Amino acid sequence: MRTSLRHMSTSALLAAAVSLAGCGSESTPAPAPPPPATPTPNPPPVPPVATAFDVTPCLNQLVVPGRTLANLVVPDVLNLDVTKPSAFPNGRQYLDPVIDVTLAVIFLDLSKHSATTFSTIPLGPNGVDQPLPNTFPFLAPPLGNPPTSGGAGSNFTFRSDPASAYVRVDRAGMPGVATALVTGNANKNEYNDDNPMIDAGGKWVPELVASLTFLTNVLVDDLTRLRLTPCARPL
Amino acid sequence: MRVKSILRVALPSVLALSAAALLSDRGLEAADHFDAPARVGSDTNTNGFDVAADIADLYAFYDDANVYVTIGFGGPANISLPGVYDPDMLYMINISNAGERTDTEIPIEIRFGRDGVNPGIQVRNLPGGTISGPVETNITASNGIMVRAGLFDDPFFFDPQGLRDTRATGTLSFNNKRDRFAMLNTTFVSIAIPRSLVIRNQPLDIWASSARIRS
Repeated sequence: MRTSLRHMSTSALLAAAVSLAGCGSESTPAPAPPPPATPTPNPPPVPPVATAFDVTPCLNQLVVPGRTLANLVVPDVLNLDVTKPSAFPNGRQYLDPVIDVTLAVIFLDLSKHSATTFSTIPLGPNGVDQPLPNTFPFLAPPLGNPPTSGGAGSNFTFRSDPASAYVRVDRAGMPGVATALVTGNANKNEYNDDNPMIDAGGKWVPELVASLTFLTNVLVDDLTRLRLTPCARPL
Repeated sequence: MRVKSILRVALPSVLALSAAALLSDRGLEAADHFDAPARVGSDTNTNGFDVAADIADLYAFYDDANVYVTIGFGGPANISLPGVYDPDMLYMINISNAGERTDTEIPIEIRFGRDGVNPGIQVRNLPGGTISGPVETNITASNGIMVRAGLFDDPFFFDPQGLRDTRATGTLSFNNKRDRFAMLNTTFVSIAIPRSLVIRNQPLDIWASSARIRS
């Protein structure tokens, strides 16, 4: 099964997964005999397919209790509530399938589909090179034989410059969303120079919405063909 | 509430943008790898870019004893390369545990230094103060905080080629057997903080940054 799946396209994988999801656990009935041949009627006219969508329902849908998609991406921070299970989007663990979950919550109607719709296929790769240990820091050792210091040294010299003496290069919070939805080098540089307080003021909301709208407009036909219900609504 | 109102106001003008305009100059990133590409390089070219400053991923999780925050950078790298311990870099993990979600009560600063050829790590502004010591071993403070800097097998998985093809063709084109991050290493700093030292009466909001010393 894995060998055959390896060569299936994304669309075929999704179609298979959606089909399987609707099969239930009952045994497969014998195939029904083909119906008798009948004259082919003229096909009904095909309604025009919407090509422009409003993503506001996506941004306002609940991803986890009490938190909408908009709440998760603006401001761009990773939120961790220790009273709730520790798994993305409540924080992020090393093996959480963050990309597939993110694709689901930004494109799919979560009242009809789970946030794990894509990750259970999986849509993207989902695996590590070697098992992760169960002791701190819970990361697997480096591959190969890279040079190491082996924990040597005791009298280290560090820069004493204050944080203000450094120039920002990069920032990170919620995985995937902002990096995928902020476009163009100028915007990306500016976005990385900003901070969550600026995010919360709404500066980047038009950019995020524009990118999500663009991606939705070009991908919604794929989703509907696969019998998935988009969260966006036709304009 | 504030965000919702902003989104509703912004929407009409946003929708007036043409798809053609949006097609241009889209980067190919992942969780945060290769972002911003004009500074740190792209999925397909990092030559001459500030790879050490490229935050790969930010993680945050907890167990019964601790909250764990981890930042990765300088990867994914070929498995023959050493860890990235650049003394001119400042990495920060900013934690908000009180008041507004966007303020920072615990601005953790991470720097690297040297003892001869051996790299060391210094972590400032932790609950209880500063911790320093060698990389590639666990450093434990008397209040229970643990720090580890080192090179590890990068656990992230993603198919940026699939994203590239999806954007170019308008058709979902991911391949779950094509992992750009497989068989590569990345440098990480992981910090374990006892829950009592960081948890207050609200969820944590966490973000990270990298910055290079002004030349």
